[in-house]
Amino acid sequence: MKILIVDDSKIGRMSVIKSLKIVKPDAELFQAANGLEAVEIFKEEKPHVVFLDLTMPVMDGYEALKHIMSIDKEAQVIVVSADIQSEAKLRVLVAGAKNMYPKPINDEKMLQIFEQDLLL
Amino acid sequence: MNLEFNEDQIDALREFMNVSIGAATANLANLLDAFGTMHIPKIEICNSSELSQKIESTIDIGSMYYATKQLFTGKFGGECMFIISEESARNLGRHLYNATTPSRDDISDAVIELTNILTSTIVSRLTQELDTQVQFFVPSSQFIDAHSIVNSEDVADYSKIIIISTILDFKDQKINGNIYILTKDEAIKSLKILIDKKIEEIYG
Repeated sequence: MKILIVDDSKIGRMSVIKSLKIVKPDAELFQAANGLEAVEIFKEEKPHVVFLDLTMPVMDGYEALKHIMSIDKEAQVIVVSADIQSEAKLRVLVAGAKNMYPKPINDEKMLQIFEQDLLL
Repeated sequence: MNLEFNEDQIDALREFMNVSIGAATANLANLLDAFGTMHIPKIEICNSSELSQKIESTIDIGSMYYATKQLFTGKFGGECMFIISEESARNLGRHLYNATTPSRDDISDAVIELTNILTSTIVSRLTQELDTQVQFFVPSSQFIDAHSIVNSEDVADYSKIIIISTILDFKDQKINGNIYILTKDEAIKSLKILIDKKIEEIYG
């Protein structure tokens, strides 16, 4: 399974990766530091799952989500963000994300994501 | 001890601050019944003598401001400062009190209420991320010009200051302000230790 982790913060990406290594130890992981990089990697690698931050330089998560969904309307995108406003969640769900979680993600939440949110 | 931060420490602090600002923005969004746009926090370490110049470079120096400051102490101690222009504060008063021309007292009350929510959420969340606790002092608010925001007494005990800044941005309501967390020498050392501990936990 290919998984793309998108966050401008290295510790933000590492936090997601730490839980992924427990829940999906065999997954092949890709990292992007902004939305534009994410879209490029998404086109090339066609990951099964994308973990996407919202507040990023160059291209934010909202824009990246739009691009990713236009490339593959079945894309499995989970938004992981510090923005915990209900309107932010509504916006990403309307744009096609499977779900949105507040940072940081722990092992329990990661397990829940794979069991409840993703269609794999 | 070296007071400079390495790349990983800055990255971690920015991320913890981002999470803290996210919590504060959500609380304010509830208060204002509005949507706030989040901005990436900026981290800078400067000499105390540069503080005034750093703050003035981020605001319009021709405007008057409400500047609210709140001290906090603990392993990570410092001062949280929220600066909002007169115009933004008036919009906040209009929005909160549903009044076309809110009184100066109403505006001041609105600013203090917003600052209380903002600073307590940010600092509490930040210290939660860092697995530590702080005590808050009563905030003080002033209506002043840009050049008077930082006075010499504010920085007398500081040599290096870490400035964590971001923008509070409720576009539709035309309410925005600048948030600064200032912390100095001893607190910077403690902060580095707390950050290194978190990095070790996450990076393994």
